[in-house]
Amino acid sequence: MEAVRTSGLVKRFDATVAVDTVDLVVPTGQVRGLLGPNGAGKTTLLRMLFGLIRPDAGRVELLGRELAALGTTALHSVGGFVEEPCFYPYLSARANLRLLARLDGDTATAAELDEALEQVDLLSRADDRVSGFSTGMRQRLGIAAALLRAPRLLLLDEPTSGLDPAGTRAVATLVQRLAADGVAILLSSHQIGELERVCGAYTVLRHGRVVWDGTATDLEREAPTSAYQLITSDDDRALELATGRPGVHVRRSTRGGLAVAAPQDSLDRLVIALGDARIAVRRLELLVSPLESMFFALTGDGGGDQLEPLALAEQVLAGAPMTAGAEA
Amino acid sequence: MSAVASPPVALPQTGASDGFRHAYRTELQKLTAQLTTRLLAVVTVLGPFAFAAVLKVQSGTPSDALFGAWVHASGFAISLVILGFAGSWGFPIIAGVLAGDLFSSEDRHGTWKTILTRSCTREDIFSGKLLAVGTLAIALSALLAIATLVAGIALVGAQSMVNLSGAPTSAGRIFAVTVVSWVYCLLPVLAYTSLAILFSVATRNGILGVLGPLMVALATQLLDLIGKGVIVHLLLIGSAFDGWHGLFVTHPFFGPLLISAGVCVVWIAACLTASWRILRRRDFLTTSAGPRPGWTAPIRVVAIAVAVFAVLALACNLGPNGVTGYRVSASLGPTFNNVTLLQQALIGRHAPAGARLDVLPNCNKRGSADVGPGDWNCNLYVYLPQPKSIPFQQTSVEYEVSVQYNGCWKASAPPAFLGGPTMANARGASVTNPLFIVYGCFNIL
Repeated sequence: MEAVRTSGLVKRFDATVAVDTVDLVVPTGQVRGLLGPNGAGKTTLLRMLFGLIRPDAGRVELLGRELAALGTTALHSVGGFVEEPCFYPYLSARANLRLLARLDGDTATAAELDEALEQVDLLSRADDRVSGFSTGMRQRLGIAAALLRAPRLLLLDEPTSGLDPAGTRAVATLVQRLAADGVAILLSSHQIGELERVCGAYTVLRHGRVVWDGTATDLEREAPTSAYQLITSDDDRALELATGRPGVHVRRSTRGGLAVAAPQDSLDRLVIALGDARIAVRRLELLVSPLESMFFALTGDGGGDQLEPLALAEQVLAGAPMTAGAEA
Repeated sequence: MSAVASPPVALPQTGASDGFRHAYRTELQKLTAQLTTRLLAVVTVLGPFAFAAVLKVQSGTPSDALFGAWVHASGFAISLVILGFAGSWGFPIIAGVLAGDLFSSEDRHGTWKTILTRSCTREDIFSGKLLAVGTLAIALSALLAIATLVAGIALVGAQSMVNLSGAPTSAGRIFAVTVVSWVYCLLPVLAYTSLAILFSVATRNGILGVLGPLMVALATQLLDLIGKGVIVHLLLIGSAFDGWHGLFVTHPFFGPLLISAGVCVVWIAACLTASWRILRRRDFLTTSAGPRPGWTAPIRVVAIAVAVFAVLALACNLGPNGVTGYRVSASLGPTFNNVTLLQQALIGRHAPAGARLDVLPNCNKRGSADVGPGDWNCNLYVYLPQPKSIPFQQTSVEYEVSVQYNGCWKASAPPAFLGGPTMANARGASVTNPLFIVYGCFNIL
């Protein structure tokens, strides 16, 4: 069963086409990453799925039910949030959840509310007013609110924004577990690493249009070459050995060691050759993943031109951001 | 955050009617959790007691208000005086505080997306909010009514009182008509509440939503001072709070009450329809809490309001004259007859049943034609009963009469002629002098 199906979805704001004829399918149990640079239309698309804004054209089906008219269709079994979650600041975390549970049918017991708060480590602050919560705490409360209604479809917009590393990892674990239970998840994030950890499929938006759509396997196959940082016992000889090898692009990194761009099989052969030449590999780190390569290839200024993976690797080594960017 | 081991909490699906019910209960919970609502409830309950207590410890009276001269004589007068004040200011404040921020607060907190992505439709949320705020508006109005009656009866007593025809009326009847008047005023309360909702939805600005009804009430008060026609006045929500006056005369008239009730229904329907159309078509685009309310919208609203006010002010002469010299005289004469007989009875001079004084009133408006609200001067040529003397002695009485657009008036006489605000009755006790200040109402239609 398809949890999400959109066809020909269009949203215009005056002369700007924010979402342009988007066809999107998320099957049950799939975790699909939604990527795109700022202004690509990710948030607008999610808002349309939530029924918060009206499409100018196209149709939306959630869990087999068409969102025919804005505001006349209740979002049963659909959880999540768009942009940062917002709550009533004059109410406590528990009161906010109780209020939202009441909108859903009002059968959540106090113990069940506590369980939801416990899941996001907010039980100890359950009776504090939300006005005193940090961004991360509100984010966690948003996740608790989404889980409270036993969703069959989760639409999450930057769910780990403001979370510490442990919180980010816990969200990833939670997403994987929910997907294993059959929950479909559409996850918008500018943290590519976070998406790679949980997503089985991706949709990349650029200027409101879908520029790539497929599974993680498709992506591995189609993605431009990945880039690595290679540190050896003798970088000079390693550079000499790697230069000119088929499929391998290499240059000395400004941050030490070598920046290497190569497909997996070419990289394997290079590592074996280094060993044969009695050059020890002290560090081999993936700097630019297939998803990152693909993302920048699709959304870069060249509009799909193949970007030079070594340049991206250098950006990573220099500490420059390698993210897709949060949508404004 | 810990990794999750247990499955998420399961909740049942809800139907369309359930969504409305859940939204109603949720909105009720939110409204009652707000400090402003709780403060309003406290003021509503304690305010009448404070008012009655202050009056109890002083001799002065709020005599400009209808029944104000009677606050030391009957507890019902306290309830009716407060009803008059509430119609002018109290109810618009209640409506503004409760409903003015009802929708705009969701914009301020960024919570539209939170509630609209649950199992309720926009229609459910809108209807739930309406019913919740309507429930609270009615509840607070009822609290106010009960508090005024309890405070008045507890601190002054449940004595009989003269009506707006100057005739003594039993405590039971006064109580019943007072209750009916409070109940009737729920309609204009709901009309003001609907107006506040429209302000809240249309401007997305809590300040405008809260202050809007108050500003409309102020504008109504100003418009009430000008113009001779009845049409514009009858179309204003604030004027509807005067509808109950016709119930307090000996021969009640219902025209203004029925018209203002209809006007309120039209206001309610128009405001709520417009609010729903705006909300239904709205795209919720803003990020999180959104920008702070700016000045552009308030300035635009103020400009529109000033223009509307100017048009209404010019239109206030439309329609037939509600206040005329004939009507003032025709109302004052019989009322004076009644209060004079009452005064005589209080001092032990009981006239035979059905006795009438021969009163010839002559009323003129000061400095202008004899139409319209304002200050009038009335001379009454009357035969005053003298003990054991027949026929009565003829004399003339001059009253200064302040007439409102709604046909209600207050007549006051110089103390040297008819005595002060209080007098000694036949048993030597101090009582309200019914001739010192006289209230009355006539039908302006």
